Amino acid sequence: MSEFDTLASYLSVAPEIGLTILLLIVLAFSVARREVERAAVPYIAGFGMIALAALPLIFAPGDANSTIPEGLYWGGMIRYDVLAQVFRVMILLAGGITALMASGVRGVGRRGEFYIVIIVATLGMSLMSASADLVMVFVALETTSIPLYILAAFKRDDTRSAESGIKYFLFGSFASAIMLYGLSLLYGFTGQTNIYQLAAFMGSDAFANNLVPVLASMVLVVVGFGFKVSAVPFHFWTPDVYEGAPTPVTGYVSVASKAASFALLVRFFVAVYPETLALSGESLQNFWIQLMAVFAVLSMTLGNVLALSQKNIKRLLAYSSIAQAGYTLIGVAAIQSQELSIASVGFYMFMYTFTNLAAFTVVILFSEATGSETIADLAGLNRRSPWLALAMTIALLSLAGIPPTAGFFGKFFVFNAAVRSGLTWLAVVGVLNAIVALYYYLVVIKVMYVDRSEDEDKPIPVGRQYVWVLWATSLIVIVLGTVGAQTVYDWAARGAMGLFT
Amino acid sequence: MNIEITFETITFAIFGVLTLAGGIGVVTTRNLIHAALYLIVSLFGVAGIFILLAAPFLAAIQVLVYIGAIAILIIFGVMLTRGMTHLPERFNRQGGLAAVVVIGGFVVLLVGVILPVWGPNGAVAAEAQPIFMTTRDLGIALVDKEQFVLPFEVASVLLTAAMVGAIAIARDDESRD
Amino acid sequence: MEIGIGAYVVLSAVLFTLGALGVMLRRNAIIVFMSVELMLNAANLAFVAFARQFNDVNGHLFVFFVITVAAAEVGIGLALIVAIFRTKKSINIDSMNQLKG
Repeated sequence: MSEFDTLASYLSVAPEIGLTILLLIVLAFSVARREVERAAVPYIAGFGMIALAALPLIFAPGDANSTIPEGLYWGGMIRYDVLAQVFRVMILLAGGITALMASGVRGVGRRGEFYIVIIVATLGMSLMSASADLVMVFVALETTSIPLYILAAFKRDDTRSAESGIKYFLFGSFASAIMLYGLSLLYGFTGQTNIYQLAAFMGSDAFANNLVPVLASMVLVVVGFGFKVSAVPFHFWTPDVYEGAPTPVTGYVSVASKAASFALLVRFFVAVYPETLALSGESLQNFWIQLMAVFAVLSMTLGNVLALSQKNIKRLLAYSSIAQAGYTLIGVAAIQSQELSIASVGFYMFMYTFTNLAAFTVVILFSEATGSETIADLAGLNRRSPWLALAMTIALLSLAGIPPTAGFFGKFFVFNAAVRSGLTWLAVVGVLNAIVALYYYLVVIKVMYVDRSEDEDKPIPVGRQYVWVLWATSLIVIVLGTVGAQTVYDWAARGAMGLFT
Repeated sequence: MNIEITFETITFAIFGVLTLAGGIGVVTTRNLIHAALYLIVSLFGVAGIFILLAAPFLAAIQVLVYIGAIAILIIFGVMLTRGMTHLPERFNRQGGLAAVVVIGGFVVLLVGVILPVWGPNGAVAAEAQPIFMTTRDLGIALVDKEQFVLPFEVASVLLTAAMVGAIAIARDDESRD
Repeated sequence: MEIGIGAYVVLSAVLFTLGALGVMLRRNAIIVFMSVELMLNAANLAFVAFARQFNDVNGHLFVFFVITVAAAEVGIGLALIVAIFRTKKSINIDSMNQLKG
């Protein structure tokens, strides 16, 4: 970029600017004197973020002649490309849906601060998906993490929520301190902070025999990413935090934070430790492929096996989300299939976002009505609220990877990428795991449809906004599992292409 | 390596010892107030090292923000959770293994990373460079649109959220909704 | 410079290790948090040393942002510690055992 292009620069951060304006509007409304205005806050925040999701689509990154050419902006702080666009759309939609989901939750939904904090978290994630400088990576990560610590502890005088918040906080800040040290080593090796310049400096002659230092930096950075995507062995916080946090927050952490982290992870590793960077005759890429493959196997297996014995639906979904991170890591490990790999990661996160949000919406409605989060209490849900049971079934089938839901194509693309890059064994482990996982998802469906309960004549009240959320997410899951799969996959593949050029 | 006794080595030794002694104090003491004071000693040591490394502005920030605000806030936290100043047990039960892992990691860092890269014959050449960076450069970089203005603005949004959030979770629940 | 950049980096590595030991070994939430602060300071020390090495302003800017983030973090951390102390009357990590499965 030779000279500063003002228009393109501002448009490249249009969602962030929009979120900041939205933040101020929400702030004004949440201190309004009239109750009506305060009650509008969840809708302003929710629909505001959903509307902002259109910005990356309107101001799409294009070739050199378009208004916003793909490339580095703001002095190399961010890189606006199709990959950033894909992830920004899903993160903004997830933020908006979460705000709507939270509106009816006791102890959370009526407090304006909740929406302020969630908007800032969304801003951090949106930046994470485009960060291209170590400074920006760190600031964006923390702008995501710190609001999430707050959200996890948001239910006042609820011991479980406070405990969840402090555990998340302590583990999270430990992980980011380790990652920061890794970033400092990278800076110390090269004197550069832009992630697209690091590899060139590390590949210079002076560094030819320094494999161990570069690997050490990689390991430190992996700890931070592993924590954020809750991959085994950095997962131990996940079940506790997911169970204790307010349910909308759990849903949000499980999808948006994970999606943003995967976006940053693929960008970071492809740029900083590329295939071309070989030290002491070893390609750096091979090391992290193996690392990711091991994490994938551990996450899938441990997540699925531990999920089998869960009684609490939020804990079940927590272990399920560890396993889902494992499937996505297969896609990352399959990097040698180039854009197939990144595209499969993008598609997986896209479909997982809507799938998991649908599941958590049902959990919210159920626990708000009955005060229970136990799987056995879901008995007879089919007779109480057939539509709710149907939405949950679609979500669970998608998590399990059964057609015609989106999860099927998610797993298909990931396994396909693995086979194409010569990691057939990894795909086989993935398929075996999917079979194990099918069992516990089907158990929940069986409880809802077959088991009887005494409360079958009491339908679950469903607020208007929840009806919209459930319809929207379920429809997206079905569309992505049928006609829409190819479109979204191609979109993600275009994003992947930009990463390699 | 023979080390000359110069102003720099003496100063480095003094502040290095302060930094590490403070750190050891934080990690081993049983008294929370003492731990906070040890932390201040350590942070002060780091500030001294910053001056040695030609970063006077950061040294000032270190003293003002880290010691003046962060450490004092921690002391507030200690006092609000009264009754916790004398900790019954110092360490975790499963601490042994963790300590071995951490110290092992340290040895790898020292021998595998620091020695080959920044050691006497390291890859990143250790040649003395003249200092021509000033606080003015720092200030310009922070608001330059070709440098750090974006993270700077984002940090301000983050601080807003932290302020709102800290009040939201710590405030007593006087008006239940 | 007589002592070279290596000495500063070693100092930062020792401080980082001390902080990590504190996090792994101690059981009090505030002590664990202070140990995390030690680790952040170790990283800052390394950044400033590298900035001196390369005579580059970016390292200093990085430290600036780390300190800002640490300030936000400490605010949240203490709010959380106050919140949990109010409900549990303890900030010992081992007493946080309501969430188990």
